[in-house]
Amino acid sequence: MAEWRFLRLPGLARGEQSAPIVPERSVAGRTLVTLIAIMSFLSAMTLGGVVLVQKSALGWSADVGREVTIQLRPVDGAVMDSSLRTAVALAEATPGVASARALSLEETQDLLTPWLGAGVDLSALDVPRLVVVQLADPREADIDKLTSDLKAVEGASLDTHAAWRQQLNGMAGTIVASGLLVLMLIMVATVLAIVFATRGTMASNRSIVDVLHFIGASNSFIAGEFQGRFLTIGFRGGMLGGFAAIVFFIVVGFAVGAVMPQAAGQQLGVLFGRFALGLDGLLGLIAVVPVIAAVTAITSRITVRRFLQTTS
Amino acid sequence: MIEFLNVGLRYGQGPEILRDLDFRIEPGSFHFLTGPSGAGKTSLLKLLLLSLKPTRGKVMLFGKDTTQLDQDGLLQMRRHIGIVFQEFRLLDHLTTYENVALPLRVLGEQESSYRANVIELLEWVGLGERLNALPALLSGGEKQRAAIARAVIGRPDILLADEPTGNVDPDLSLRLIRLFAELNRMGTTIILATHELPLLDNFPFPRMVLNDGQVHIHG
Ligand SMILES: Nc1ncnc2c1ncn2[C@@H]1O[C@H](COP(=O)(O)OP(=O)(O)O)[C@@H](O)[C@H]1O
Ligand SMILES: [Mg+2]
Repeated sequence: MAEWRFLRLPGLARGEQSAPIVPERSVAGRTLVTLIAIMSFLSAMTLGGVVLVQKSALGWSADVGREVTIQLRPVDGAVMDSSLRTAVALAEATPGVASARALSLEETQDLLTPWLGAGVDLSALDVPRLVVVQLADPREADIDKLTSDLKAVEGASLDTHAAWRQQLNGMAGTIVASGLLVLMLIMVATVLAIVFATRGTMASNRSIVDVLHFIGASNSFIAGEFQGRFLTIGFRGGMLGGFAAIVFFIVVGFAVGAVMPQAAGQQLGVLFGRFALGLDGLLGLIAVVPVIAAVTAITSRITVRRFLQTTS
Repeated sequence: MIEFLNVGLRYGQGPEILRDLDFRIEPGSFHFLTGPSGAGKTSLLKLLLLSLKPTRGKVMLFGKDTTQLDQDGLLQMRRHIGIVFQEFRLLDHLTTYENVALPLRVLGEQESSYRANVIELLEWVGLGERLNALPALLSGGEKQRAAIARAVIGRPDILLADEPTGNVDPDLSLRLIRLFAELNRMGTTIILATHELPLLDNFPFPRMVLNDGQVHIHG
């Protein structure tokens, strides 16, 4: 018996040799650790999702913003090839433009294949043609000048993808806001669960509380003993859940990389290259652990104090 | 030291189970508190332990009106009072040593400062060999001696005992009360509640008899 006691590791809350006053097993420990682990996992998932969406949206938006497209509709009496050359020249003359290139007929055909099917000979058809304009710096490019210059080319119009970007940003904003709302709800649910668990623990440890009272323990001492337990539980649950979430994101990242067919090619590679949490996202996930532990400790402390005030 | 002034007590809207209690208890005295089961012995001890407030009248302790004390005042005063229960109320997951040391531990004292005292006291009550035993392994008499040690480790001025011999055989009961008498000889004021009258004949101490909500002191 004696040897066993000395082998025991000191509690997290206090580095004493003596056994904790509130026995570890009496605090519906495992259930609560599981519950908190699940809540942390959900919080971390939500947070990670929010970070992913935010980052990807920003990335895509920036990518798309670095490119504008000039579309040339076929016009009677105009020669498409010369219109294309003019448009390229006008674009290249615009400040802030890095390069401009007309898509060849084959490239245009490739673009249209999904809609028209393969093997359609476009040379027999009049199809709109595109000039892809890469901007050196989207903020300094003089899009207005290019727009007005292009009025000289019949059938030309400029697409800055502004509407699409706005839609993307709006969608991302909605997802982020919903994610934060979900995060808040998870926190509220966690707090409520801890309140119930704490009350249950206090009720089932009523005899210990009574003994502590009549041997002269103050309410803050008693609260501290219980809070120590709950801090440990919150920390364990938070670690489990946070760790699981990180593993989840890593595994999903690899799985997505492995499952994507090679043929889907570079575009998706670029896409999922960005579809990663990044260091700051990872730190955010790790921050869930102390936050959950603190929420657990504070909630249980308040609950314990209320309980003690109404019973002593 | 203890003075009851016209004290009455009722639980909720129920009848007054203690009424017109008017008595004094001098420091260093030893009183038995007797009366049939349900007479109100435990309730009277709870008034003294400050875990109940009288519904009327005043309970004076150490010259202070306890009804006027705030929570901290009650706590400070409670630390001068030790209590022993019939059902021992040791914490099952702590050893004898840890149980007895608990009142000092909750005061925030360092173990190194009290370890020797606790062991000495446990030896004095005859538990020197049982320091590391959990309560489940102790006999009834051993548990009650541990509970008594826990009640006196903080050197209380008043020691209350509620049917401390209720769960041990007569022979052990006698020895337990001798232990209380010994503590009283060393200066502790003692009130020991029991309904086992034959036991008391072995001791010369006065008896407070509760009957019909009122108390009379004999001897
Ligand atoms: N918490 C309580 N609520 C209501 N009535 C109580 C409570 N505790 C004791 N009583 C009543 O008060 C009376 C005295 O009880 P108690 O002080 O325990 O007597 P004793 O210790 O002498 O047996 C009994 O009638 C009992 O039913
Ligand atoms: Mg009783």
